[in-house]
Order: sequence, then structure tokens, then C-alpha cells
Amino acid sequence: MSDAKSSQKRKWRVSRRGFLIGTGVLGAGLALGYGVGLPKARLQMAGMFDGGIRPSNLPVEPMQWIEITPANKVIFHLSKIEMGQGVHTALAQILAEELEAAWANIEVRHASTARGPVDANGTTGSTTVSSNYNSLRQIAATMREMLRAEAAKLLNVSAASLVAQNSMFVAGASKISYGEVVKAHVGNWELPKDKPTLKTPSEFKLIGKPAPRVDLPAKVQGETVYGLDARLPGMLYGAVAMPPTLGATLRRASVGDANDQPGVRKVVIEDGFAGVVAESRQQAQSAVNALTLVWDEGKRWQQSDVDAMLEINERELVAIQQEGNGVLPSRGVGVIEAHYSSPFAAHAQLEPQSALAEVQADRARVWVSTQMPSLARSEIAKALGMKDEQVDVIPTFIGGGFGRKYGADVGIPAARLSRAMGGKPVHVSWTRSEEFQHGYLRPPTRHILRGVLGADGRIDGLTHLQSSGEVAGAFLPAAMMTALGSDFGAWRGGRIHYAVPNRYVGTKFVKLPARTSWWRGLGLLANTFAIESFIDELAHAAKVDPLAFRLKNVGNDERGERFRKVLTAVADKAGWGRPAPAGRARGLACCIDGNAVVAQVAEVSVETGGAKPKIRVHRFVSAIDAGLVINPDGVKAQTEGAIVMGISSALLEQATLVDGRVSANNFDAYPLLTMRDTPSIETVIVPGGDQPFGVGEPPLGPVAAAIGNAVFALTGKRLRDLPLAL
Amino acid sequence: MKLDINGKTIEVPDAPSRLLLWVLRDELGLIGTKFGCGAGICGSCTVHVNGVATRACITPLSAVAGKAVRTIEGLAEAKANGEVKLHPVQQAWIDEQVPQCGWCQSGQMMQAAAFLQQTPKPNEAQIVEAMSGNYCRCGCYMRIKQAVARAAQVNIAQHDEVNA
Ligand code: FES
Ligand code: FES
Repeated sequence: MSDAKSSQKRKWRVSRRGFLIGTGVLGAGLALGYGVGLPKARLQMAGMFDGGIRPSNLPVEPMQWIEITPANKVIFHLSKIEMGQGVHTALAQILAEELEAAWANIEVRHASTARGPVDANGTTGSTTVSSNYNSLRQIAATMREMLRAEAAKLLNVSAASLVAQNSMFVAGASKISYGEVVKAHVGNWELPKDKPTLKTPSEFKLIGKPAPRVDLPAKVQGETVYGLDARLPGMLYGAVAMPPTLGATLRRASVGDANDQPGVRKVVIEDGFAGVVAESRQQAQSAVNALTLVWDEGKRWQQSDVDAMLEINERELVAIQQEGNGVLPSRGVGVIEAHYSSPFAAHAQLEPQSALAEVQADRARVWVSTQMPSLARSEIAKALGMKDEQVDVIPTFIGGGFGRKYGADVGIPAARLSRAMGGKPVHVSWTRSEEFQHGYLRPPTRHILRGVLGADGRIDGLTHLQSSGEVAGAFLPAAMMTALGSDFGAWRGGRIHYAVPNRYVGTKFVKLPARTSWWRGLGLLANTFAIESFIDELAHAAKVDPLAFRLKNVGNDERGERFRKVLTAVADKAGWGRPAPAGRARGLACCIDGNAVVAQVAEVSVETGGAKPKIRVHRFVSAIDAGLVINPDGVKAQTEGAIVMGISSALLEQATLVDGRVSANNFDAYPLLTMRDTPSIETVIVPGGDQPFGVGEPPLGPVAAAIGNAVFALTGKRLRDLPLAL
Repeated sequence: MKLDINGKTIEVPDAPSRLLLWVLRDELGLIGTKFGCGAGICGSCTVHVNGVATRACITPLSAVAGKAVRTIEGLAEAKANGEVKLHPVQQAWIDEQVPQCGWCQSGQMMQAAAFLQQTPKPNEAQIVEAMSGNYCRCGCYMRIKQAVARAAQVNIAQHDEVNA
């Protein structure tokens, strides 16, 4: 666990082609790093929604670096965190493809903040593969050419005669491994003058083929180290007094009986903070209950307060899309109107917030389960009154993120308690109840949809008015949110992608009494639920089959073409148009997110006989055009996972506010979908272009709408509120 | 008190109210057993006690006195030459590329291994019944089901005998 080298800061200089070369390389070897740059926040945000983030040509800091060791290993230090989405594998495939590295020789590691990459983007928004694809291929190919030039010298043959394969150069009978080249090399490495030639897709050997996940051997043996698993010799355990109600602040704290509890090493009471350090986690957690605490509780918020705050007043809305005549009136001629809603939801990632901190007088090391090591570092540095450079955040594997592991969270109390213990390592993790009460939630939303039909099954006007708790606003500066006027996280998926001549989308975001922010796909699930259910309503009103209705309205541009392909693919696979098995019906929905186009068909039945009718999803078919696919099995796995999470959300998940607290403390009051209610899931990958798009979130978008539309087809009842209930 | 963990006798301070999960993880460093809810609901902490799938987060130490505890770290077979032979369930988990984040998977595999020991040739409904008490937030259920079915094709009893 302890990492003596982690404080050795690597230095970087910008090479003439925009690559970054690491100097002060640890041990012998060749290392190259590259950056995707730090584009202006706004551009980046816009990019997230209209085509994904593109690598900048002007890297400022390296995002990842690649090291070839004399032992012929390729060590790939990544600032991107593996939380189950398979990015370590997909990026390794891209690297190995252009580097011609032997797959078995590649080792992927998380980079700590002190060892080089400080990745301001974090691992978010399904952008890892799309934002790294081009740069990574360039640098891998460059590295291969640098090695080739050196190998040619060593073997005394022409560089052109060398064939690179399996981490080795071969020319006739002679061969030399990359490791041997690195070992034999003296002096500085020179970047080649010319840009390396990249492979054409037809030359790919690894990209586009299913690759076994590089992180699974450790995971099936229970060896993977997550935040909760971080250990150091002599470590202690901390627990912190948490507010009894939302927004409560600590007025006074005294030791009470805490010091007399078994195993307690120290009670730490600082400004607005009370915590205990003990020899075991159980001891720390029970000793916190022995503190004497006085809280300023403030208002006891109820769900009705939230509902009132979310009410949509048209004058408060900020337009995020406006075409043609704009907003449709509520009572206009031929206007069809419907109201939709979604509730608070929890991430319910199974690994709670966890961190281990070791804080010396002038430096700190923190192991933490975080999607944003750079943010975690600055948050912890700020809490300790240190400079960023004095803090090293060592990211661990993440036991489920889904947007919830953004920043430092318990890294801060762990660091405070460690400092109070004179630098002894202290581990802090949350209980499940703390997760539900003190994390942040997916915000509830309200939607008003209005539509007017034109001739022959076309939509003439479509209006989407939306309100939501904040998403991006929870983490971005207030001034920026004011300038933007809307919360791009909350409205993600809320714009209208059908070719409707009169389109209007207006939104408002509200700071709610319970913290809300990032949740897989952000607003995607709720917004797609509202829009795609309403499209189904319009199709039925027009008396047109929902598939035909969509095909008619997606437009004739390139995007419309992509939609048509994906819709047709899912319909073919699902047997759309043919009768469903007895007692079942099918529903269709689609979305575009980060440039990936998804269409899905749910096949459902309704079981009666219990206390309430139960919606059962039997079969779920999903088609995706995610552009160039790196690892098809990874796309399938992400699709399956997103659909399970989507069904869980659509049918089960809901939190409310009751007397100033979140309604659930554990899974008994907030159950998740289990295998029993998981349908068979089929994924169709529709071939796309030559650039990859993200896949972690897009397939979550249409899930709830597809189910609701199927329930309508079966029962004639339109369900407009999540979770869906008959 | 003495504990029998993965075939080894281990002495730990006697305090019967302490929970098996935290003794395994924090005292013995067996971090493969995970925490998810602390209430017996999610199954992340599943271990075997005398071969029975048991939730370590609600199991006091006193309940395992004199009994054989097996964790994910004891599921594979460590050969004399230092090589590790994965348990058929672990191998099936790789073959089906089951885990995403991996957090729930030790519990899933321990649940599956105990189940297959009892029910070596399960049908699909039995698999679903046996595995539906284990949460996976990443949503790997389809692959878990397929992996259990695949592992059932291997002779689990034989593997476990060799391992014991
Ligand atoms: S942690 Fe034991 S069942 Fe959830
Ligand atoms: S693999 Fe992540 S919770 Fe199951």
C-alpha cells in the first residue's frame, strides 16, 4: 500500500508536436505522456452535450503516461478511474493497437496526483474513451516509431525493414524486444520529425474485438483495493457526528461519555466538527453516539415543500432550445398537454464513501474512492490549509460511482482526524444510513409537455417545460450558474431531437433542501422519460404506430438517418409489429446522448393478484450506435448495467423528504432491483463512424419511457410519474 | 478466542459483540469480503460458515466459534508451486466477464459457491431464487445467472475436496 515514490513529482515539457515527455523518469525506461488539454469550462460543457469532448491540440498537463520498462512491460498510468465501466481495458486496447504491444505485457495502474497526471475532467460523463482515443493512438504510434528507430540502430538494419508485433521488432531472423531496446538506449529520446502513420480501421487487430477486462482476475479473487480497503500499518478508524436533519449545524459539542468508550483514542472537537478516533471502526461509530451535541436544526423540510419549489411557472423558465414559433400555449387549438414527474433517487452504489488519510505537518497522503482525484486534492488541501502540491491523492478502484464519488467527501474528515492524531493514518467510511442521509441525490423533476400534430403523422409543434433540482449547480461556482442561467446537468436529455418546426424547451433549476447533483446520465433518464412517453402519446393521438411515428419525425439530416438505423435495428430484433407473447405488450423509446444514439424496446406484462398490480419486464432489447466501438463486450456490459439501473429506477426507486430527513436509511426502505426482476437483455451494436462515443450513460435514457409505453400498449393506462405504478 | 478462517486457526481478542465482517476486514486484512448495508440486505458481505452462505455484517464473532469460516480469499486453491487454481465459480465469473465495479462480486461468488454445493445441477428458476438476495448496483445479474449455470457444469464438489 505505501508508495515511497509517490512524492516524486514528474516534470513535463511540451514537445514541439504537443506531446509531453516526462523527465525524471522513475528507473530506466521510456515514458511518454499526453494531455487532452484543459479546454474552457463552457466549451467543454457544450461539447458534452453536442458531440462529446474532443482532445485539444495544446496539452497543458499530461492525462496519462505510458512507460516501457527494461523488463518489457508496458505500464499505463491512468488518471481515469476504473469503477466498473471497463475503461482500463478499452484504453489498453487502443494503446496496444498502435504500440503493437503484447496484450499480456500491459499493466494498467491508477496514477496518483503527485506522480504526474492531474486530470481536471475526472472520470465523468461517459467521456473517457471518446476524449482519449485520438491522442492515445498518436502517442502510442509515436512511441512505437521512437522504439523502431532505436531498434534499427541496435540491429544495424533499416527502420523500414522492422516489423513491430507483440512488443518486439522482427527483421528476418533477428529480433529485439521493446524492453531490450529501452535497456540498451543511452541519452535523450528524440521525437520523430514526422507524425506517425496511424492504422486504418481495417488494420485493427484489437480495436473492435471483445477484450477480456484487465481488472477481473484481481476482482474475482477479492484482491482489488477500493477506498474502503485502503490500509496502512498502525491505522486507526474515525467517525464523525452527522447532522440529525437536513441543513442542521453544530452549535455546541462536548466530549460527553465518548472518552470512556472502549477503544477511543481521541475525541476531536473543532469548529462545527465533532469526531472520534478509535482502534476499530465499530468502536469509533458507537463512540460518536456518546458525544453531547447541540444542533441548530432549522426547518423540518417535508416533501410538500419540495413539490412547491418545483412547480413550473412559465415566466421563470430559461430557454435552452427555441425554433419556429417557440412555446405552445396551454390551451391552444389542437394542443395536447401532459405532465410528468420523477422523484429524488439515490445512487445506492454499494461501496460507501471511504478514505484513508495520513497527514503530516507539511504533507498529506489520502487514499480515496473518487471519480475526481484533482478536485479531491484541492478540497482536502483547502480543509487542511495546505497547498494543493502538499497533498497527494491516491485514487483507488471504485465500488460503484454513478456520479456519487465526485470529490473528496470523507477524505476531508479522515484528513482532519489524522492531523489531530499527529499524522497517524485514519480511515473514515460512511454507514449506509449516512450514505442515504448525507450524500447527494438525483434531483426530482417536473415536466409539462405540449404538442400539436400536423398533417400525415408529423409533429408540428413540441414544447417541453421542465423544472429540476440542481445538478451541475451543486459543484460549479454560483457566478457561472448565473451566467449560464440553466443547469446543463438538469436539462441533459431535455432538448427535442425530432425535426419539429416549432420547438421550445425552457427550464429552471432550484436549490432544494436536500443536496442534489450528478447521477448516472444526470437529467437524461427523467427528461427522456417525459419526452419519449409524450411522443408515444402523440403517436397514439395521431393513430400512427409509435415506430412509424418516430421514423417520420426524426428528420432527414445525418442524425435523423442514424436514428432511423437504430430504431429499425431495435424493432427488427424485438419483433416490433409482430404480436407479443400472450399477456404482454411492447413499448419503444429512443434518445441521443453525447452523440450515441440508443433505441430500446421493453416487453412487459402486468401481474395482478398481489396487493398492487406488478409491472414485470420480461425482455429488453437495446440498439446503440456508439460510433466506433473499441470493446463490443464492454458496450454490452454497460448497456446491460444501465438497463438494470433504469428498470430499478423506473419501477422501484423513490426517496422523499419527511420531517427534515431523507425517507430511507437503508435498503429496506429503498429496495433495488434484483435478479428476480431482471429481464433478458439483448444488445444490438449498430456500426457507426470512425470516432468512439461514450456508452456508460446513453442506454439508461429511454428505459423508463420504453416500459411506460409498453404498459400503455398493454393496459391503455398512461403512467406519467416515476416510479411507474398502476 | 480462536477462529478457523480459510483452514487456518487464528487467535483474535475475545469480544463476542464484535461483528465478523469487521474482524475479517479490519483486523485480519481479509478485504475481499465487502460491506454494503450492514443490515443483512445486500449480500456484499457473504461468507461461508460451515459451508452455509452467511452475512458477515450481522454475524457476531460468538456465532462462529468452533466453526469453519471461508472467505473469497479461501475460495481458490493455492497449489504447492505457488500457482492459484481458481474455483469453478471464479473461473466462470471470468469466462462470462461478470464483474463491473466488482464490489458485490465476492458476496455473489460466495453465495453461488455455497448454493452449487447444495444444488449441483440447478435449473434457471433455482439459480434466480438462490441469487436474488444479492444486490448488484452495476446490474450484472444476467451475467451472474449465466456464470452460475456455467459453473454448475464443473464438478464443484471435486474442487472443494481438493481445496479442503
Ligand atoms: S453488508 Fe451484509 S448484507 Fe449488506
Ligand atoms: S459489480 Fe458493481 S455492484 Fe456488482
